[in-house]
Amino acid sequence: MESQSGRKTTDDVKAVVLRIERMSIFDGPGLRTVVFLKGCHLNCQWCSTPESQIIKPEKGFLQDRCRECGSCIENCKTGALSMIEGRVVTDHSLCSSCFECVDICPHDAHKSFGQEMTDSQVFDEISKDEVFFFHSGGGVTISGGECLCQPDFVISVLKKCRIRGIFTAIETSLSVSWEIIENVLPFIDNLYVDIKHLDTRMHKKFVGVNNKLILSNLEKLDRSELPFDLHIRIPLIPGVNDDDASLLALIPVMKSLKRLTDIEILPYHRLGVGTYAQLGKDYKFEGLQPPTEEYIAERIEFLSKQELTVPLRIAGGA
Amino acid sequence: MLKPEYADRIYFLKDRVLCTPPEMDLENAEILTNGFREFEGEPLVMRKAKAFRKQCLEKTVRIWDKELIVGCSGSKLRAGILCADTCWSVLNEELDTISERSYDPFHLKDEDRSLFEQKVRPYWKGRSSYEEWMAQIPDDTRDLRDAGVVYIDRKAVRGFGETTAGYEWLIREGIIGIEEVIRKRRARLDITVPGDYQKDYYLESLLIVGDGMKKLSIRYSREAEHLASLAMDGERKRELLEIAEVCLRVPTHPAQSFREALQALYFYQTFIFMEQNAASYNPGRMDQYLLPYYNADLKSGAITKDQAQELIECLWVKFAEPCLFQDAVTAEFAAGYPMFQNVCVGGVDETGRDAVNELSYMILQATMDVQLYQPSLSVRYSLAKNPSNFLRKVVELIALGTGFPAFHNDDIGIRMLMNKGIPLREAFDWNPCGCVETNLEGRLRHYTALADVNLGSVIELALLDGRSRKANKYVSVRTGNAEEFETFELFLDAIKKQFAYVTRAVVKGSHIIDEVCMNRPSPALSLTFKDCIESAKDYAWGGAKYNTGNGIILIGVADLINSISAIKHIVFDTQLVSMSQLLKALEDDFDGHDDILKLCRKAPKYGNDNPDVDWIAGDIFTYFADEIESYNSKFGKMTPGILPVSGNTPFGLEVGALPSGKRAWKPLADGVSPMGGTDMNGSGSVLKSVANIPHDRFVQGTLLNLKVEPAMLHDENGVRQMMAFLKSMCSLGVYHVQFNVIDQEKLLKAQESPDDYRGLLVRVAGYSAYFVELGKDVQDDIIGRTMLHGISVG
Repeated sequence: MESQSGRKTTDDVKAVVLRIERMSIFDGPGLRTVVFLKGCHLNCQWCSTPESQIIKPEKGFLQDRCRECGSCIENCKTGALSMIEGRVVTDHSLCSSCFECVDICPHDAHKSFGQEMTDSQVFDEISKDEVFFFHSGGGVTISGGECLCQPDFVISVLKKCRIRGIFTAIETSLSVSWEIIENVLPFIDNLYVDIKHLDTRMHKKFVGVNNKLILSNLEKLDRSELPFDLHIRIPLIPGVNDDDASLLALIPVMKSLKRLTDIEILPYHRLGVGTYAQLGKDYKFEGLQPPTEEYIAERIEFLSKQELTVPLRIAGGA
Repeated sequence: MLKPEYADRIYFLKDRVLCTPPEMDLENAEILTNGFREFEGEPLVMRKAKAFRKQCLEKTVRIWDKELIVGCSGSKLRAGILCADTCWSVLNEELDTISERSYDPFHLKDEDRSLFEQKVRPYWKGRSSYEEWMAQIPDDTRDLRDAGVVYIDRKAVRGFGETTAGYEWLIREGIIGIEEVIRKRRARLDITVPGDYQKDYYLESLLIVGDGMKKLSIRYSREAEHLASLAMDGERKRELLEIAEVCLRVPTHPAQSFREALQALYFYQTFIFMEQNAASYNPGRMDQYLLPYYNADLKSGAITKDQAQELIECLWVKFAEPCLFQDAVTAEFAAGYPMFQNVCVGGVDETGRDAVNELSYMILQATMDVQLYQPSLSVRYSLAKNPSNFLRKVVELIALGTGFPAFHNDDIGIRMLMNKGIPLREAFDWNPCGCVETNLEGRLRHYTALADVNLGSVIELALLDGRSRKANKYVSVRTGNAEEFETFELFLDAIKKQFAYVTRAVVKGSHIIDEVCMNRPSPALSLTFKDCIESAKDYAWGGAKYNTGNGIILIGVADLINSISAIKHIVFDTQLVSMSQLLKALEDDFDGHDDILKLCRKAPKYGNDNPDVDWIAGDIFTYFADEIESYNSKFGKMTPGILPVSGNTPFGLEVGALPSGKRAWKPLADGVSPMGGTDMNGSGSVLKSVANIPHDRFVQGTLLNLKVEPAMLHDENGVRQMMAFLKSMCSLGVYHVQFNVIDQEKLLKAQESPDDYRGLLVRVAGYSAYFVELGKDVQDDIIGRTMLHGISVG
């Protein structure tokens, strides 16, 4: 894709973009364009976006669209595709993500996740919605994956947005070096930080890494004098962090944050389970059911009783 | 929620409408026929006027239980009126089928059928507009019409409609006030001067219809008195006596209360439907012209706000009673007995300042309370002038999911009027008409949707050298073998030539219909057009203050743009497919050509804010507007518009497979909306694409249907974003939008036909996916609403 403005300079910064989502009402104030970048340092077992986990573009397969015509197998250059018991099967270890099969399949059974884009290309996409940002007070939110896996790109895009008067936000787990965060902070109006668990052992077990870096970054963030708004997002995962003790453990940290604007609870959902199958990955929480509305309300109620000093709400809710 | 003080009445009235199946009503036709026989030898307009008065004197007068606003064009509560002079032959063609036809059936009783066969038909045979039109239709126009390239019979099968009478003047002055103006004008004539005799009898005909109207309203008064004398219930007796009093005063005298103003308005509405069976006589800006009466009554204590609300809602039910009689084909193009009585709120006043007032909110509330298919409710929203509270109320109405209101960008509406030749000062007072057309109360004459042009056919004709695939016949200009087009520009040129040829044929037809309609004077309608009196010229003859040429409506916008885009990208730019391969695939309806179908579908699609395709919308639609406006009629410049009503479905049946990926004989896209399943970036991108069409040049309006996710309507954040979205639409210069709320039913449809819903997004914070790509169990969860808070599907 050529940049709309025709600029094509050698200092373009590139990133692998999973998708760009427009007119979101859940990811920051106003109407927002959300740029999902690929790649993440964490490995949350409940992750609803498995296609965002590794940086490299990936191929998915939608079994129910396949008519077993075999044209993808004939055209696969690396031999990653084969017909086993009448069904097309992908050997992901052989797949080079050339996406030939995506182009060829007449039924759109193959699908690509992610493409490389330059900062200018992404900025052009963002700036298309300036009119909606203007009337809604919205802007861009860069999310992921962990968007700070590709920090130079994030900074470059946010800088461009700032110059154009587009409000900026990022969503991050803070699981990167403080230097990276420090460099991106000056370009951010709203910062959404995901906190999953305060117990280091549990964090390691369900997220794949411990939470020390995250918590230390959070502390440093809170001391920053830059004028961003800090929001904490807590995924509410049954059996992982929804018990009284896990929730109570969050309270002192939340109370200690002087910069905190509000807390959003993201209830566990299963919208992403199909994507695991498309990618040939296993979903570790296969049997887990989403919490009921009543249960979520009860947990919110429980948290509200803990004398938090900032508003608490369900993300996307009233 | 309706207030309990009047909920019972409104629900009762509403149920009566919903439980009454539409019938054919031939009483008017019988009286008209008798009248025309009785007054033979007199000038046509005199016969029409005298026959109208005869209808007023002889028609059945009924007041139904519990109603407060009274009046009915015919003898039955819900019926299609046959206006024998314009369209007797329509019923003749359908005597055996009209009771059972699939679109808009009307029950025809045996006694009505024999009345028709014995009395009506023998007199009018050979005299209807439709017969005159069929006798004169040019060959090229007929060929295109028969091949489904154009639909041009609408005006020949019913009366004028598509206009906004001078309701305000009638309410304010009463018939006696208008009579005074007519008499004064008449006094200035000298019958020895050539031309004045015609003017004299024309003005006399206006006095005659006015006299009929006065007498008919008095008959209603008597009927109310009569019913009151029989009433057992004291409360109803009191109401009936009040009705008797109101009908004695209006529309004869100037209205002196809010209630009288409403009654005068509705009486006149029924009178003009008696004169001509027609779609879209638009009450227009009721929040403006009724305000003085409301304010005065409120101030004097004559009425409370609740009482006024109840009266508006009683009127709303009345608007939903009549049913448009039209032939089976026209009904397919506009299904649902659509009377299109378009009421409008909001906008600016004659000084260009905010015109929103308390009645604007009460009228929106009436539509929220009554929830019937009529009146059509439109909003003029002025981004610069109207308050956000008003916009919020509009969003509350959208949230009900009834499809109302039609939301109009006020500035664009004003510009459309100006492009029709109306000065800004008066253009401030515009009102939406029918579907999304533009109108001006009591001053403007034109037929807003004379003919529809099938843009799917235009593409097909350019690809097949003027041949209709379905008819397998050359019906249009020969633009050359598409396989020999060496450049994209040559192909585009062929499309333009096809369009130019079709437009020319439509204009020829339009001129003939204008002539036919010179013999369809409508004195009852003309009575409230001041300039018809001053010029002593009927509305039909061009007597209104402003006249413009008829509307030519384009259908299949997205099909056209996407087809051009596909050919540009796959045949010319990337050369992945040759023109002959593409033509073969289209001929086979893509069967056995999955690869080509895939390429066609992958080509850039309108509705995604993609400049690679959206430029076509700007370029080609500017050309279309230029082409249409290059023709004049005796009433002025021809006028373009883009509104399908439901015509995209029957037009689609006439068109084979298209490069857009449309399969043969399937519906075209509606209005300026993208093709279903091809808009992948949500409603903001749709708006951005749609904004590439030069809306203000399509002066008969442009229509956009958008899906909206319930999350945008049901919590505070969503409502605010929806308001911002509507403001953005105005900034972008898009003219109109109306919304379908994504509900369970639509999600079930998406499961059934995923191809039509590919762009449907499921979103929660930090997550999004296409609905049709989710597993069935997850889809079922969403449909069952067992999922979480803060989920949005749209």
